[in-house]
Amino acid sequence: MNTVIIPILRSAISIMTPLLLAAMGGLFTELSGMLNIALEGLMLMGAFSTIVFAYSTGSLLQGVVLGVLSTMLLATLFALVTLKLKANVFITGLATNLFASGLTVVLSYRLFGNKGVVVFDNIAALPRISIPLIRSIPILGDLLSGHHVFVYISWVLLILVGFSLYRTPFGFRLRAAGLHEKTLISLGLKPDRYRFIAFLISGAACALAGAILTLNLGAFVPNITSGKGWIALVVIFLGQKRPFGLFVAALIFGFADAFSNYAQGAWNIPADVILTIPYLFTLVAMVVFSIYTNRRSRVE
Amino acid sequence: MGSRSLQREFSRPTVLRSAIGPLIIAALALGALVILALLLSETPGRTLRYFFLGPVQNTYYAGNMINTAIPLIFGGLGISLAMRAGSFNLGGEGQLYGGAFVTTISAIALGSWGLAGAVLSLIFGALTGGVLAGFSGFLRKQWNTNELISSFLLSNVVVLLVSYLIAGPFQDPETNLIATRRIAESFRLMRILEPSNLSSAVYFALLAVVLVHLYLYRMKSGYELRMVGLNPMFARYGGIRVSWYRIWSMFLSGALYGLGGGFAIFGTYYASVREFSTGMGWNGLAVALIARFQPVAVIPAALFFAYIESGARSAMLHSDVTFEIASIVQAVVFFLVTSSLLQRLGTKRRSV
Amino acid sequence: MELAVELRAIVKTYPETGLRANDSVDLQLRKQEILCLAGENGAGKTTLMKVLYGLEHADSGTISIGGKVRRIASPVDANRLGIGMVHQHFMLVDEFTVAQNVVLGSEPRMWAFAYDSRKAERLVDSVIQKHRFSIRADAVVGSLTVGQKQQVEIVKMLFRKVDILILDEPTAVLTEQETETLFVTLRALAEGGTSIILITHKLQEIMAVSDRVAIMRQGSMLGEFDTKAVSEREISRLMMGQSVSLNVIKKPYTKDKRPVVEFDSVSVVKRNQQRPMLDNLTFTAYSGEILGFAGVGGNGMGVLEAVLGGFLPVSSGSIRHNGTEITKSDTFGVRRNGLAYIPADRLKVGSALEATVAENIIVASRKKFSRYGFLEKRDMEQHAKALMQTFSIQGESKVPIGTLSGGNIQKVILAREIEQFRDYIVCCEPTWGLDIASSKFVYERILALRDQGAAVLLISSNLDEIRALSDRIAVMYRGSISALLSSEDAQRATKEELGAYMLGISVQEELHG
Repeated sequence: MNTVIIPILRSAISIMTPLLLAAMGGLFTELSGMLNIALEGLMLMGAFSTIVFAYSTGSLLQGVVLGVLSTMLLATLFALVTLKLKANVFITGLATNLFASGLTVVLSYRLFGNKGVVVFDNIAALPRISIPLIRSIPILGDLLSGHHVFVYISWVLLILVGFSLYRTPFGFRLRAAGLHEKTLISLGLKPDRYRFIAFLISGAACALAGAILTLNLGAFVPNITSGKGWIALVVIFLGQKRPFGLFVAALIFGFADAFSNYAQGAWNIPADVILTIPYLFTLVAMVVFSIYTNRRSRVE
Repeated sequence: MGSRSLQREFSRPTVLRSAIGPLIIAALALGALVILALLLSETPGRTLRYFFLGPVQNTYYAGNMINTAIPLIFGGLGISLAMRAGSFNLGGEGQLYGGAFVTTISAIALGSWGLAGAVLSLIFGALTGGVLAGFSGFLRKQWNTNELISSFLLSNVVVLLVSYLIAGPFQDPETNLIATRRIAESFRLMRILEPSNLSSAVYFALLAVVLVHLYLYRMKSGYELRMVGLNPMFARYGGIRVSWYRIWSMFLSGALYGLGGGFAIFGTYYASVREFSTGMGWNGLAVALIARFQPVAVIPAALFFAYIESGARSAMLHSDVTFEIASIVQAVVFFLVTSSLLQRLGTKRRSV
Repeated sequence: MELAVELRAIVKTYPETGLRANDSVDLQLRKQEILCLAGENGAGKTTLMKVLYGLEHADSGTISIGGKVRRIASPVDANRLGIGMVHQHFMLVDEFTVAQNVVLGSEPRMWAFAYDSRKAERLVDSVIQKHRFSIRADAVVGSLTVGQKQQVEIVKMLFRKVDILILDEPTAVLTEQETETLFVTLRALAEGGTSIILITHKLQEIMAVSDRVAIMRQGSMLGEFDTKAVSEREISRLMMGQSVSLNVIKKPYTKDKRPVVEFDSVSVVKRNQQRPMLDNLTFTAYSGEILGFAGVGGNGMGVLEAVLGGFLPVSSGSIRHNGTEITKSDTFGVRRNGLAYIPADRLKVGSALEATVAENIIVASRKKFSRYGFLEKRDMEQHAKALMQTFSIQGESKVPIGTLSGGNIQKVILAREIEQFRDYIVCCEPTWGLDIASSKFVYERILALRDQGAAVLLISSNLDEIRALSDRIAVMYRGSISALLSSEDAQRATKEELGAYMLGISVQEELHG
């Protein structure tokens, strides 16, 4: 048993990291009152730009920084059209995804002459961190220590996210924009300003999430994100839009993914069917939620 | 929230009194294209020439372009119908793909039934799309579930399941493609513009435009549907069953998509190839948005999108850019098309 | 004596509706006084205060605070000048605590970027204690009662050190007890140095708490009065206007009257409301008579309209039409039963602005114009043209109805409903926004219907109209009928009397059937 569960769990913790990061970014936009479905496109952008910059500068750090900046640029476009031109956020989110998927292939072709998988051979492996005391603990050590650096970064960021949302004026105003924007307006504050910042944050977070995917692989695969952005959305809702909930939800999906990898090998469930699970799950959750809210506001 | 504001804007679609808005968007989209060509191509002039002129340079390319527009016309009609009633159908991908698949296997199963078999297959395909979309409409009526998201999620599930079915149980053992078996010769529609692959499906598409237009503007039911979209309170006030029309409009919308999928099979593909229709659903949405939900305007809008795709393909074949520029141009359209700011340009202010 | 606030010649017109909400209004607020700004719904009181608070901008006029002319472009400016406003609809985030709501926008900080919640609670607490409120700084706003939420709004303003406080219809949602508490608070605040403007239309409150009262009607300021020097009746008269007689000749209806629409103890209760929206409403509308419903907004007239139109389900009681139960009927059902209905909200309910005139006209009679599912367009257009001619409506039948003038849109709706009535018609605010000539026309039509035997249910806030047209008058107060005047009484009733019933000052001893 231990030889199966522990590796799956360990794998889960690793797999959940991009989901957690993207979800954290989406959490800001969601709390500000914007349904952000562009997590997928932003991740893709981050995945591509990070590895390209890492390759061209030879430095992982520079790659990540530049990747984050370029993704934030895309997020700015997304935010401006939605907020300033007053377009529908769902459709502009779709546009962002479409844009990212087109742009990455176009650039890939232009820069590397290849529309498909592009392998980068000079990418250093992601540094792994072995935590001194923890690594010696029998089971916990196997689970928690030795992951690549982004896993631990995501945990630190999660704490920061929680702090900024619930312990800073910015967080309060952002949440007020989503909960009851009239309150902000009556105080002379502008909800859109906080939403704009939320879009930028989602861009940065998704960039990191995407970066993990490509840096880990050492290559860019078209559509490498394949639905992870949507799963990040589900994580946000499943996690009740709270930081700790996000962690648990991301872990659940990470586990499901790790388990399905195992199951695919062991039990032969087709990949397509497994991929439907997050969508089905969200759909069912949505319906249940509607039934519940409907019951509450009836005329007696 | 996002979707409800789109609903507010679009549940009162303006008659094409002013084509300025769509024209500006089209112009900006093509402008983006020019910029892309300049940035990405070693030979921008050549690229642009093939992009703009390629699709129309001979019957092969022009015919193929028109053929590409056919599923977009069906999709555009479907979305337009739904929006006219104030409903959002974002599940086009699944409805089209699912409808195409059901049409394919029905056609294979009913191979010996001749014309009746063909018609039935199309009907089954349309029903598939209709039920899928109608289910979202039902969820909205019953529990006020956002049909925008529910249709989208359901569509994703359907796409995955259909892909699984094509690659698995229904895979044609005799081909290297991931596809089902091909339909019988007798079911395949005639090619009308050799050497292109333009089939007689285009006539059906045009017929669909006429029928939808007649329905909306000449029939009592279409009138009721339009009133529901223009002002649900008013429609209800007049005694129209608003919630029923929300379901019906979604059903029709999905059915049109399903029909589009069916005709794509009968006219062009002859088998359900895995992921053959990726993007057609979204393009149908974009077409409807540009056409401001007017059935007749769907035709030029669909041709515009088909033109972009064909142009991209032509530029790809003869120059050094990749087909995916089309996605970028389409993305620009999506970015702009719901902007209420741009919509206000050129429309008259109502005198109250 | 220096004035806390002086508004001079404030003019404000809303471009979308062309409505002159404030017509060269003057107002003076003395220091440490409680001034009531009174008037009917639509008198322009809220607009005037929104201008003062920076939520709206006046077209012309000046605002002086403490003697100096100021520009107030936003609530932030207003706050800086010491002006605070407690809105009718609370601007609170239910999920936050009292302290968090109060300090939002001016949060005390720790380490420059973090929120110092302890300090926030401390500061808010001190404000609460100082004014002896019953709330706690760490309570979640969503768990508070309505009265307490209002206290939070007041604390929010006091925290920003305002010395001019505006309250917009503060007692609209309070119980008697909470209202008392509020008044005690306001008096204490005034004594402590705050100058207060209270927007209200409730007579008892004006008498109970104000030093002076400024009365507005239809956008104009009628005057400012010492509350002690003026009687309730006079205030009521000023708010409602003089009795003006409309030249309408009514013939007595001679044929047999039969009950057409009966309401029997009808109540409408919504889960999250304290008071029932309709409270055991009982009345009978007979053929050949006009039953007028009078009342101040918020007392159930809109709810009654919604129930009659099939838009709102009832919680208990029964509704009968010609003896048949129609309690559970929705709009589709009542339309099929022959409902003719002129809604108060012409644009939102009574028409679809982008649809053509003809399309608007046939909405309830569409079956008549279709054969085998197809619309008979020619017949439709002909019918529309004929109707437009009969009712002297300017315009063409093929254009979107939104391009017609407001009065003409009205007429179309009127024409449509009158033309297809069977035995009863519900008319709500039938002449709102119409000029005199059109109004006369409408009255003539309504009377004609009545003479033909229709049961007319007239719901209107226009007392002149009610008095001129109604055979019987039912006054609505708090969701039920506070007075039901029979024909003779209705003829004799003065506006002041009706006003008294409408404002809850008087209650009829016995309701006449």
